[in-house]
Parts: sequence; C-alpha cells; structure tokens
Amino acid sequence: MTAPNWRRYLRFWRSDVRGDFDDELAFHVQERVDDLVARGMHPAAAHDEAMRRFGNIDQVREHCLTEAAERESQMRRMETLEVLTQDTIYALRTMRTRPSLTAAIVLTIALGIGATTSIFSVVNAVLLRPLPYQDADRVVMLREVYRGNCCGSVSPGHFHDWTEQTRSFAATAASQGQTYNLTEGDPARLVGLRVTPAYFDVFSMPATLGRYFLAHETEASRVTVLSHDVWQNQFAGEAGIVGRQIRLNGAAHTVVGVAPKAYSLTPYDARLWTILTFTPEQRINYGAHTFQVAARLQPGVTEQQARADVERVTEDIRRRVPNEMKERGADVTAFNEVLIGDYRTQLWVLLGAVVFVLLIGCVNVASLLLARASTRRKEIAIRGALGGARSRLVRQLLTESVLLAIVGGALGVLVARVGVSFLVGTGPAFIPRLAEAGLQLDVLGFAALATLACGVLFGLAPALRATRLDLQAELRDGGRGSRTVVRDRMRAGLIVAEIAVALVLLVSAGLFLRSAQRLQRVQIGFDPSHVTMMRVALPPDRYDSATTVVRAFNTLLDEVRSIPGVVAAGAGTRVPMWGISIDFGMQVEGRGTEQMAVGHMRIVTPGYFETLGISLRRGRYLGELDNQPNAPRAIVVNETYAQSFFPNEDPIGKRVSGWQNGPEPEWREIVGVVADIRAFGQDQTIPAELYAPAAQANQAWWNAHQRNMTIVVKADERAEATLGPALRAAVKRFDATLPLFHLQPMGEVLAQSTAQRRFSTMLLTLLGFTGLVLAAIGIYGVIAFFVSQRTHEIGVRIALGASRYSVIGLVVRQALTLAVAGVALGAVLAWWATRAFGSMLFEIQARDPLTFGLGALVLLLAATGAAFLPARRAARVSPVLALSESA
Amino acid sequence: MKTELLHGTLEVMILKTLSWGHMHGYGIGRWLEQHGGDALRIEEGSLYPALYRLERKGWIKAEWGLSEKNRKAKYYRLTPQGRKALAASVAMWQDFASAVARILSTRQPSPA
Repeated sequence: MTAPNWRRYLRFWRSDVRGDFDDELAFHVQERVDDLVARGMHPAAAHDEAMRRFGNIDQVREHCLTEAAERESQMRRMETLEVLTQDTIYALRTMRTRPSLTAAIVLTIALGIGATTSIFSVVNAVLLRPLPYQDADRVVMLREVYRGNCCGSVSPGHFHDWTEQTRSFAATAASQGQTYNLTEGDPARLVGLRVTPAYFDVFSMPATLGRYFLAHETEASRVTVLSHDVWQNQFAGEAGIVGRQIRLNGAAHTVVGVAPKAYSLTPYDARLWTILTFTPEQRINYGAHTFQVAARLQPGVTEQQARADVERVTEDIRRRVPNEMKERGADVTAFNEVLIGDYRTQLWVLLGAVVFVLLIGCVNVASLLLARASTRRKEIAIRGALGGARSRLVRQLLTESVLLAIVGGALGVLVARVGVSFLVGTGPAFIPRLAEAGLQLDVLGFAALATLACGVLFGLAPALRATRLDLQAELRDGGRGSRTVVRDRMRAGLIVAEIAVALVLLVSAGLFLRSAQRLQRVQIGFDPSHVTMMRVALPPDRYDSATTVVRAFNTLLDEVRSIPGVVAAGAGTRVPMWGISIDFGMQVEGRGTEQMAVGHMRIVTPGYFETLGISLRRGRYLGELDNQPNAPRAIVVNETYAQSFFPNEDPIGKRVSGWQNGPEPEWREIVGVVADIRAFGQDQTIPAELYAPAAQANQAWWNAHQRNMTIVVKADERAEATLGPALRAAVKRFDATLPLFHLQPMGEVLAQSTAQRRFSTMLLTLLGFTGLVLAAIGIYGVIAFFVSQRTHEIGVRIALGASRYSVIGLVVRQALTLAVAGVALGAVLAWWATRAFGSMLFEIQARDPLTFGLGALVLLLAATGAAFLPARRAARVSPVLALSESA
Repeated sequence: MKTELLHGTLEVMILKTLSWGHMHGYGIGRWLEQHGGDALRIEEGSLYPALYRLERKGWIKAEWGLSEKNRKAKYYRLTPQGRKALAASVAMWQDFASAVARILSTRQPSPA
C-alpha cells in the first residue's frame, strides 16, 4: 500500500518522516513477498513470513523516527548558522567598505547606550533594587501631620499610644539621632541613633557579629550595636569586638553586635546604635516632636488600613489633649517612599531624558542607513531579481544593523564604565545607595536589551523600505533615485520626530536652568563669605547642668575670638543647613491657648547674628546683657514670626511662651526682629523662628539639643587659610577630649545644600545639548543627501537663471519645513511631559512660555545652520557639470 | 540462529554494500544475506535504524526513485564523507580481524 502520490509534494514544506518510513517499509515487505512467491510460497503465507522476518515493526519505526527527527533539527541548526554566518560576513564586508559611515553609527550608538546604561545603573541601585531589609516593603514610617503639612517628627506620647493601641503592626520602633564622642584613641565624632529595641525587628537583617538589642534591655543596660563601617575603621575589624567595653560620650557601653555592611544606605546613616527608653513622664508627653517612628506591618495589613488605624488612635489623643493636638494628624507611608520619594521623579526624568537622547541617536542612524539604502538600491534590486526572497533580504539588512548595534553597544559598556564612576563620584552622596550603582548583571542585561532594541529599531525601517522596491523601475533607471527629501516620507518623518524629541529635551533643560538661575537670586538673608563653621558637642558626664554647658561655650568662644584675624564669632543650635530644629506651640500673652501657633526655637550666644550677617529689622540683637542667667527673659524673632503672630502690631515688647518646664507660661519678651534667613535651603520655605539667649535655656532644651552647638567664625582674608588648624588648637586647649566635626567654610555648606539640584540640572543640560547637536547632525545629513540627489535639478535651475540665493532658499526651506513641523509636535509633547517634574522646579512654571519659545528658537536656528552648509554647496553647483554628468 | 553482531559491524557492511552504487533498503538486506550467509544472519528490521543513523551522520543520502519493477523505492548512496568513513572502518576492521585471527591460530604460546 503506497501512500498517495501528492503527499510527496508536502515534502517541499515539511518533510513527512513517518509517511516516508511507512512507504519504505511497505516496499520492503512487498519485495520480500515477491521473492517468496517466486520460490513457490502461497501469497498469504508469504506475507506472514515477510512480516516475521522483518521483526518488531513498532520498535524499528520508533528508532528510525527518532534518528530522523534528530537529523532534521541538526539540519535546521546548520542552515540557520550558515545563513547567519553568511549575513555576518557580508555585513562585515559592507561595514569595511564604508569606514566613516560605520564609525559614525557605532560611535552614536556607543555614546547613546553608554549614557543610558550609566543612568539606568543609578536608577537600578537607588529605585529598583529592593532595600536590603527583610520584607522591606512591609516597613512604614509613622509621622505626624501638622495643619495638613506632611510630615513631622513624633512625640513620645504619640509613639507610646500608637504602639499600644494599634493592631496593624508586628513591631513599632522610635529612634532619635544622636552624636557620640567616641574616646578610643583619636577622639571621633560619630553620628548614631538611639532606638527602642524593636528597631531591629522593623529594619530586620541578620547581624554580622553578635546580636541586636533584647526587648527587656534599656538605656541603663549601656549596650551598643556598631555599624560595619565603625567596626572596620575605628576598631580595625577586630574579631573579638563583641563584649568589649567602649566609651561613648564618656559612659562605658558594651558592644553586643555588629550590623551588616548593607544596613547603612548612605554614608550619612547611623554608624552606631544605643537604646532609647522613655520615662513614664515622657510617655504622656505629646508636645516634644523629636522622634522618628518606623513600624513593620502585620502580614495582610495594607498601608491604608494601617493609616486608618493610626488615625483612629490619633483622634483619641486629640480628644484627650486638645490644646496641643488640635491641628495634628497622622500619616503612614512606606519607608521606601519616604527614603527615595524625592529622588524618584528626578531619576525617572533623567532616565527619560537619556532614553530620548538614545532615540535621537537611533533616528540619526536610521536616517544614515536609509540614505545608504538608497544608494544600495541597485545592489538590492539585483539580488531581488536573482530570486532573493524579501524576508531573506530584510534578514540580511537587519543582521547588518544589529551587528552595528552590537559593536556600538559593546563600546557603550566601556562608555558606561566611565559614566557610572562619574555619576557615583559627582552625585550627592546622600542619595541612598548611589554608591552601589555599577555594571552588575542586571544592568548589563539592560544594556544588551537596549542595544538589540536599537539595532532592530534603526534597522527595520530602512530594511523594509529598501526591499519594497519596484525592481523593474529600479533596474531600468540605473539606480538614480528619483525620490526627493520631501517625498521621502519616512526620512522626513524621522527627522520631524527627532526635532520634536530634541525640543522636549531642550525645554526640560531650559526649565531646570531657569530654575537654578532663580534660585541663585534668592535672598538667603545671611552672608556666608569668610565664615567658617564647626560643631562641638559636650558629653553629658562632664557637662551636666545648663550652667556648665553655657559656661563651656562662653569659654570656648573666648578662645576662638582670641585667634588673630578672627573678626566675630558666635554659636547657635542651628546655623543654616545644620543643626536640630525643634518646634512647639507658642502662646502669646493676652491671647487664649486656643490661638497657639508653632515656632521653631534656636538657642544662640551673643555674636551669632553679627557673625552670620543677619540684619536687624526692629529692636535690638541679643547681647552680653541677655547672657546672664538672671537677666530678664528676652527673645528675638524673625520677620515671618512677627508677621504671622503680630500682623498689624509692633511685636517689640510683646511676651510669648512655649516649651516651658511646667504647666505655667514662662513669658519671654520680644526685644528684636531679625531678617528671615533660608536656613533650611535656598529652595525651602521659611518657618516662624525664635532665637533665645543661651544663658536662658533650661536643662530640657540642652538635653533635646544634646548639648550641641555650631560655632560660626568670621575671619579676615589673611587669617582664613590658617583658621582650620587654629580652631582645632583652640578646642584642644579648651578640652583635649572634645572632638570637633563638620569644620568647613559656610560657602561650601551652602553649595552642598544645592548639590542635588545642580547635579540633575547639569546632567539635563548636558543631555539637552547632546540632543540638540544630534538633531542638527540629523538635519544636516538629510539636507546634504537631498542636495546630492538633486544636483541635476539644481543645475537645471541655475542654468535657467535661478540666483544662488534662491537655490540656498530652496534648500533651507526644506530644512525649515521639517524643523517647524518638529517644533510644533515637540511643543505638544513637552507641554505634556514637563508636567512630570513641575514639583522639582523652583519659582517657575513647568509651562513657562519663555523657555518653550527659546527652546523652539534655538532648534530652528540649529536647523537653519545645519542646512546652510549643504545649501551653499548646492548654490555652487556648476550647471555644465551637473548636466553633463547625468547625460 | 541469530548472530550477535559486534558494535558498528552492520554500519560498515552497509557502507560497503553501497560502495558500488545506490541501492534500496531491501536490496542491501538481500545482498548481505547472500554474501554473509548463515553466519551473518541479521533481523531485516534492524537494518533500517542503522540506515537512518548513517543518514544522520551524513555518510549516506536517501532519495526516492523507481525500482526495476517500477515501484517507488527509497535509494541510498554514499556521500564523500561516507566514503572516507568506509575506508577508515575497513582498515580498522582488517587490523582487528587479522589480530583476532593471529591470536586464535596460535598453537602454543612460545616460552617467554
């Protein structure tokens, strides 16, 4: 029984191995039967005998089919490999014949992929990689909301009630920043955290050495956990560190454990931890908002549920303690959001911008390839005429473009190596985990994907276009393209898109630049020139009472003032950008407690205002007169305070009270009003501020500030160079065990506060400029090609009397038509895209018309400039040459 | 009686059979039967897996054609690679066979 004949033809598409085998088997059996019959056997018996002799048919068939299938797949692999090898060899040969074109493409892709990969590595490290803590997505921050302003520190009372009365959390922990003088060897000042023991259940990670705190341990247990960094640097990675006694702020503490390296997210994170314990009095204190509270959600509880839960308890507090609480609410937000919320928009904007630059690069490459495809038309037409299938030709052209992309991408990884180290080196170090940015496997994977996407993206359009040819027409007119740039819709479309994207980049960069310019003009309210700051904290064991603290700072300031060249010196608990800010409700004499409003309190010594150059608006500065313990209580307020508390009155002589020791008001008379200063950053709003003389600060205030002041020193120019060592020596003379930290010029401090903004502005400007240059190159390429394709026509025009100017006009008009279309499209895109970072701008609208206009103008000028070179070439076309060439 | 063939023997014999020209599976079997006699009696079915294996190795190539009786038959022929493989196998088999023959024909071990 042979199979029907037609089935054989199926083999053109797919081989039919099973059918083939059965045919072969049938033939075998039939031949055997013939033989046996010829020897005289009965046909029926002969068939049985033939089958018997053959053996186990099923088993044989199975063996054969396995072999055949194996053979088929082997062949397919060979075939694919062969085609790929052919295409690759061909592509390499083509690349070699046009070295400058190849170099231009490879470089464009290398820079594009390099820049994109660099920024992605930062996005990956900061935003995408999960935090190192166990189930980090379940960690939330609980914060207080004051008058709808999110979000502030928490009072011990709130923490206590939230912990006891909510049901949403597996663990809650309070913490408070604390600096420690470590007196082992060279005195060191370490930033640390006081935490309730559950802190390490909230931010959970196995300890590197030893253990964390136990639930029953208290402040009195005198135990500490060190960060990996302190263990390595201060104790040289000593293996027996657990159990050792170290002195922190003069008190002996036992090291119980070392946290892992990954525990600290920035170089500014806590470097050691001690225990925070609340006294029974503190547990009912709802006024001192100085703690951070973190919690771990119970399994299955959502952020919203937790927020409702916390708000319920807060409502209860509001009912019980109405005065303090009237305008205070609560907020629950994922820790991750609190940590990187500020950076998210910025980083995505940067990644978006760099992807835009990459896209422009791809469009340029596509445009170059389209131009080349036009010159290769004849070659492709011949291959098509000789029977090259379209899919085969597309595959060939795509192999070329992907190969170009791969070479570019490989170079791009090298570019990214430089780029990443640049970003990590110049980026602000306080961005969490920025230092972890690098070329890890996932980042390399991204680079590979982006490379392939580029290869297909810039290759597909030219490949499809090149192969969609009218073969006959192409061969007939000798490959001289009759398309013009305007009729060349695809290329024109690409350039329009490119200009549109470039405009979005330019407008974004422009907005950031204008924002930076505005920021530069902000009145900071103080004069940082020739001012140096240093921070000093007095350990509680030797400087216990308020009196000793004040005396110590006064003595230290006298030492500082005796340094030759020092013009003025003073100290305060907060100087611009540094120090703790404690706010509380303020009561005004003669008004009820229901009219309380919040003020931020600073403790200052005489000389503070003069050194920082904060000008006096009314009344007087605080002076030596106020620096006596028994002097009448005096206070200086800033303008914002004066305006919000006494809008239509003279504040001088009015009496206010806040943060008093007991329930009775402690009236302080307002003796002066000083200028507002931007103490929290140039781009931050100014709170209502009060300045109290150091001598009149009570014990509780000093404890809250950890007996910590920042000394500011103004010196004349000659003394400035030697001021650092002189200040160190002065502190040493005063107390050799006191570490001094953050010794730096005020101007530098100010620059650091805008580092993040300047960083993203710089990168965006760089990207915007790159986009502009690439777009100009793109326009130049298209117009140059347009001119070279129409030399003949231009020659005819000139021969017929067209002036050089009209020829230049003709060419430039081509460019401007595209540019105007691109700018129009880009404006719409930018209108929509700049909304994404409106909140990052300072005193400028995301849709600032001037920026949009300038961006458009710059692009149109660039387009005209780029078209001008080929236009001049066109104008110099010799009509005789152009006409004879085509003859 | 069925003889257990040494590994690879059948493949070499198929290659040899095809060295004079193309032949279909049945023809190969019959030729081996005629020339090998009872000593080399092989189950007819086992020929085919060997043929497919050789085809996979690229030593033989199959084509459909017409037999003497005008039936459609699958013909196999040697490829240049197959020819090389045959030469190598023949040399190896001859060495092997003469070694075995030498040992088996030794009457008494000569004293060392």
